[in-house]
Amino acid sequence: MSEKLKVKSEKFKGLSKWFETHQPKGKWSWLGSTYEAFHTFAFTPNRVTSKGSHIRDAVDLKRAMITVVIALIPAMLFGMWNIGYQHYISVPETLHSSLFTLHCFWFGFLRMLPMLAVSYIVGLGIEFTFAQIRHHEVNEGFLVTGFLIPMIVPVTTPLWQLALATAFAVIIGKEVFGGTGMNFLNPALVARAFLFFSYPTRMSGDQVWIAADLWGTDAIAGATPLAELAAGIHPSASALDMLIGTIPGSTCETSVIAILLGAILLLFTGIASWRIMLSVILGGGLMGLLFNHLSPLTSNLSPYFQLPFYYHYLMGGFMFGAVFMATDPVTAAQTNIGKWIYGFLIGAFAVMLRVLNSAYPEGMMLSILLMNCFAPLIDHCVIARNIKRRQKRARIQSKVTAQ
Amino acid sequence: MTDTITIRKGLDIPIGGAAEKRLTDARNIATYAVKPTDFVGLTPKLLVEEGDAVKVGDALFCDKNDERIRFTSPVTGQVKAIVRGEKRKLLEVVVEANDNASLVLEVPHTAEEIKAVMLRCGLWTMLRQRPFGTAANPNDQPKAIFVSGFSSAPLAPDYDFVMQGREEFLKKGLDALTKLTDGKVHICFKPNQNLSKQLSTLHFPLSTHYVKGPHPAGNIGTQIAHIDPINKGEVVWTMNLQDVAVLGELVSTGIYNPEKIIAVAGPNIKNPHYYRVKTGASLKDITSAQLLNTDYPEMDAHNAAQQNRVISGDILSGTQIAADGFLGVYDDLVSILPEGNYYDFMGWLMPGFKKFSFSRTFLSGFLPKSTFKPFGIRIPRFASLWKFDTNTHGDERPLVFTGNFERVFPFDIYPTQLIKACIVGDIELMENLGIYEVEPEDFALCEFVDTSKTNIQEIIREALEKIRKEGKG
Repeated sequence: MSEKLKVKSEKFKGLSKWFETHQPKGKWSWLGSTYEAFHTFAFTPNRVTSKGSHIRDAVDLKRAMITVVIALIPAMLFGMWNIGYQHYISVPETLHSSLFTLHCFWFGFLRMLPMLAVSYIVGLGIEFTFAQIRHHEVNEGFLVTGFLIPMIVPVTTPLWQLALATAFAVIIGKEVFGGTGMNFLNPALVARAFLFFSYPTRMSGDQVWIAADLWGTDAIAGATPLAELAAGIHPSASALDMLIGTIPGSTCETSVIAILLGAILLLFTGIASWRIMLSVILGGGLMGLLFNHLSPLTSNLSPYFQLPFYYHYLMGGFMFGAVFMATDPVTAAQTNIGKWIYGFLIGAFAVMLRVLNSAYPEGMMLSILLMNCFAPLIDHCVIARNIKRRQKRARIQSKVTAQ
Repeated sequence: MTDTITIRKGLDIPIGGAAEKRLTDARNIATYAVKPTDFVGLTPKLLVEEGDAVKVGDALFCDKNDERIRFTSPVTGQVKAIVRGEKRKLLEVVVEANDNASLVLEVPHTAEEIKAVMLRCGLWTMLRQRPFGTAANPNDQPKAIFVSGFSSAPLAPDYDFVMQGREEFLKKGLDALTKLTDGKVHICFKPNQNLSKQLSTLHFPLSTHYVKGPHPAGNIGTQIAHIDPINKGEVVWTMNLQDVAVLGELVSTGIYNPEKIIAVAGPNIKNPHYYRVKTGASLKDITSAQLLNTDYPEMDAHNAAQQNRVISGDILSGTQIAADGFLGVYDDLVSILPEGNYYDFMGWLMPGFKKFSFSRTFLSGFLPKSTFKPFGIRIPRFASLWKFDTNTHGDERPLVFTGNFERVFPFDIYPTQLIKACIVGDIELMENLGIYEVEPEDFALCEFVDTSKTNIQEIIREALEKIRKEGKG
């Protein structure tokens, strides 16, 4: 073992030495947090346990966060392809080459790249600054947030708006509360909500979902299924199209299949809570069924009331929210019973908002943010039951001893 | 009365290097120490000076708040050193043995006599109370006394082997414990444990339980929580199995013989097996024999000691000691672990076949945990697959991921919330959330699986000490 250890550390001795000799000192010592961030990025620290358990699990926050990013990759790749696909089937001079799929992907890749870059540069810049000011270590939370933000906005979102939203999300959504682990709203959704309420014309309607050209912010008209339903029309895309994801929508949230691939990884690794995912789906489904039954009773014959419940899973950001947003461990309920309630209400409210309030075509974002606010209250109630049980037990016990 | 309790939450850490069932007699070790730091919350009052001659059972120091509680020498000999730390804090009283004499007292019969004899020879301090984990207070009336008949910790000794030949003393000891409480004496075994069959003929009021499931099934805290949880204001006492046998010998023959069998184990040592020692023995000879690794002849004793960590107790909640340190007073296991002070290039990104994680975030998660038994055939290759060392595998971060603690914490307590209450120091909330039912060791697995690398056991200990001190003042 010890011999192996030596080999392990000698493998990248040059880089390791470089870090050792370039530790910020003297007038540069204020850069400590930044140095730490890069050093721990390159090398898992040589820190050994000093108190308590002498061995520790191999997982750390970096590993957990990178697992979420890996789970997001299928959706990201499909989203890139779909951006190109939606573009090429909409422009008149559609190219019908044998490389069509590759062209689609390349187009989407070039559209997504600047958005990812803006999100990471702005977000990480702020994170590093805050960590530096506070003399904290830079947290890994933004690895996921920075990846998520470009995935849930329309492809034509101007980069300056994206930058503004990211800055708002990181500062107001997270850092004012103390950084990763202390926030109560999902930062990626805060970014989306910021855009939604600040620039509503760029976040909904028919003119934002399909990129007209490679670089600009112009769009080709194309409605999402949610928008069609809000306008009282049955969605033109088939259920299969929506399942695969070849429909207009936010950049990377259209493909239910790609999202489910990510869900499988998250559930297998145990990073995300299966309770939350399952209960969101249950809540949404039951609410959908309820509206189906209400339709004849209230003689409301709008297509939304009669929509088969599983359509809600296929359209918009429902599955993306259920798998990647609702399960954010910081902002979700933290008790197991609380997770069931929290998830169920997210699903139910999301469908309710969609069906009853046509001003907001997508209810998922608002529903998750709403339940983020209520998660601590749910936990409080669940824990209060445990406390009551304990106090009751103590009372019975003291009665017995008194006798 | 017997019943079976099934524990579902928990984790058996698949570390290799458990002790072989072979016994070396190491009672001839010359140096011993009694360490005040082994006893929670103790303010010691020193009673000897360097050079004093002491006999077995002579007090070296006592509790400043209750001078009846005496901490005694395990051997007859001479006080060799009194080791003090910062602010003159008493760390160790070292005794050099020079005689094999033993202490013979009058055989006690009544509860008061048993108590007096135990206090006299220092065996009393082996009774611990919960909450707080301090040595028992002779004035208390415990509502029950708990003894665990097995240990489920990683590399733990097999009590069937350890207790061989001492079953009669164990029975006598349990009998004596029943006299010390108006409540019950509970003892827990694994299902089908040999030792439990030997004790089945007992007819005094003893309640036997069987606990099934992964670690921490063998922890006394888990057993108390499932049998008779502690409420505010209540006190239970606990005693380790081998100390019960020492008590049995004391009450049946009058001889105080503080011996125990310890397991010396670890993934990297020469020949892990059992040693018979007296309590507080110096581990210098044992560890130097174990650490001289024949596979790496270039490694001398000093290097070996540098690259390994000697732990008195188990690897989840034991105490780090020097390679020439002394056995902890409550411990019957010495674990030796390789130190993990190496950099791991992109450790957070690499596949990680040899990294053990409770989550399945590394490729090792696809492999079966511990021993892989398809169709009941044991494939040993997997048993030694994982590499365990003292590396933290990451930096400390705020508590982010939830749900893992709950999966390894078999109590009717919300661990995340209790830990947070302890961090903010809200005593009322801690009480409401069940702080009296736990000891730091109950959180050891939470600490192990924690993504944020928080030192949870330290947080719990500090919180308990805070409550204990406020209660006193």
